[in-house]
Amino acid sequence: MALLDVADLTVTFRTDGGLVRAVDSVSLSVEAGETLALVGESGSGKSVTALSILGLMAPGRIEQGRIAFAGDDLTALDEAALRAIRGDRIAMIFQEPMSSLNPVLTIGKQVAEPIWLHRRLAWREAYAQAAELLRKVAIPDAEARLNDYPHQFSGGMRQRVMIAMALACRPQLIIADEPTTALDVTVQAQILSLLKGLTRETNAALLLITHDLGVVARYADRVAVMYGGRIVESGPAAALYGKPMHPYTEGLMRSVPRLDGLAHERLPAIPGQPPDLANLPTGCAFATRCPHVHDLCRAATPPLRALGDARSAACHRHG
Amino acid sequence: MAEPAAASAAVRGAASELLRVEDLCVHYPVTEGVVRQRQVGAVKAVDGVSFSLRRGETLGLVGESGCGKSTTALAVLRMLTPTSGRIFFDGEDITALSGEPLRRLRRRMQMVYQDPFGSLNPRMRVRDLVGEPLVVHGANRRSPGYRKRVNELLDLVGLLPDMGERYPHEFSGGQRQRIGIARALALQPDLVICDEPVSALDVSIQAQVINLLMDLQQELGLTYLFIAHDLSVVRHISDRVGVMYLGRLVETAPKAALFARPRHPYTQILLGAVPVPDPTVESTRDQPVIFGEVPSPRNPPLGCAFHPRCPKAESRCREERPQALPMGQGVRVACHLVGPQARQ
Repeated sequence: MALLDVADLTVTFRTDGGLVRAVDSVSLSVEAGETLALVGESGSGKSVTALSILGLMAPGRIEQGRIAFAGDDLTALDEAALRAIRGDRIAMIFQEPMSSLNPVLTIGKQVAEPIWLHRRLAWREAYAQAAELLRKVAIPDAEARLNDYPHQFSGGMRQRVMIAMALACRPQLIIADEPTTALDVTVQAQILSLLKGLTRETNAALLLITHDLGVVARYADRVAVMYGGRIVESGPAAALYGKPMHPYTEGLMRSVPRLDGLAHERLPAIPGQPPDLANLPTGCAFATRCPHVHDLCRAATPPLRALGDARSAACHRHG
Repeated sequence: MAEPAAASAAVRGAASELLRVEDLCVHYPVTEGVVRQRQVGAVKAVDGVSFSLRRGETLGLVGESGCGKSTTALAVLRMLTPTSGRIFFDGEDITALSGEPLRRLRRRMQMVYQDPFGSLNPRMRVRDLVGEPLVVHGANRRSPGYRKRVNELLDLVGLLPDMGERYPHEFSGGQRQRIGIARALALQPDLVICDEPVSALDVSIQAQVINLLMDLQQELGLTYLFIAHDLSVVRHISDRVGVMYLGRLVETAPKAALFARPRHPYTQILLGAVPVPDPTVESTRDQPVIFGEVPSPRNPPLGCAFHPRCPKAESRCREERPQALPMGQGVRVACHLVGPQARQ
């Protein structure tokens, strides 16, 4: 059984414009030691899916579905039980390393806190482990930097601190939400290699949320593509990139300029705009932009169907 | 309505030089003291940058945050006055231009900004946003020519005339960027500086805007200075590419040469750090990981600014600053270990 098994998850938000279904019947699973990339554009529901795993989707509400983590259903746990899991067995790394660190506490205190809290170590021991963790994420002069404040760190160094905090209690699952989007490309490569290496070392599962198809290709084992709140395609990375089964995935792959592609030609862009979740069309959310659209697509939402070889797609072409 | 300068742009031919920047420096003073301020140092945001741009050409400027690419753009636009160096636009020295001549110059160079949310006044209708540059430069809002020109501009960037009556918040990011582009084109500029024009957009929308910029260049004979950190995008749109590091241009080359055979160690590392969206390619690719981070431009390293992170650095790199020297075929590299400098 998979370490994390999300089944049929639906999360809704009450807004002035009516009920918005940010996540709609999403199912995904991650094994220990595996990296699953959750790919999508803004508003596709990828971050809400991740936050729901930790019970942090408020003011959104889990309408239906089950989130099984190492055998426990997280949707059935109360706040205290969830708090005991967060930062301990499941850790999260956010996009903005500046706003997710407390500006008035030293780095040492912030890294030691989860160890002290979850491992119930004496503060002095927790603090010693914090220094060890900073060394592990390759922060130069780790011991001395424990006394520094977040503003004394660069963006890349802050994200290293976030990774150190996430790793503090040797989590079984790490959720990283656009962990390098705010960083420069050479620093991005450093951070992702570090994260990947450390998860390999501890056999932790990594749920990597990103919009960057290059990052996915370099670091993910499996990929799930989200569009309009639903997973439209999933499968092993090499197979999915080799032959995308959903027209959205296919369009996305073709429209991205790449370092090894043909330069200075018109890019085959996907026409139109991503859908407004508050105002989704009936049927397939991609129908308005799809080159293969037919009547059925506008009438009925295609379910995610298994296609063999661990792949699945939600498209009527594979009905 | 037509601007004589722009109308004759196509006539003058594509090969002539539109912009030349010589040894440009922009240093910001660092001061101490409250009552009596004294200068204690300088942030060398741009430190000796030279390049030129031909009509109809696209020069991509790449580099990581703080490398000085946006400051270079602001100096070219004369939004700030350079500390030293010279800027020539269409043969005229504009380094010290001010007052009315500067105002006249500004209509010939325009800018497209990164953030399509922050760069449009939310209280103005799209029609007025697009027409604003015309009004600033003396057009009458009530004239039939004005209305026609605004409609033309909306059409040019793929927006419908009735969208002009709406406000920016009613548009998506991609559409807002189209509005920003229409504004930049209103005065028929020769040079358009695009500062990260697609990096705030969704992946599926980036391709639309890149295509639009390329179409407009063909149609109107525009010259682009294209600033971006995304090397894949720069490779797609540029004719030549300049790589900046800590206020200096370390390599300038025609696109094909730069991407096929990067010569400066920083360019090589930068290209290696960009993942290709293909797992099969990625699994066989060298992935050199660079150590350290960009140093502060207030205290740049002596010698070559890149030497503390350079895997090939020698003692000479720590002492002597390498000059950008021509390597043939339009390639210029500032590195002691490349080309004729290496053999000395």
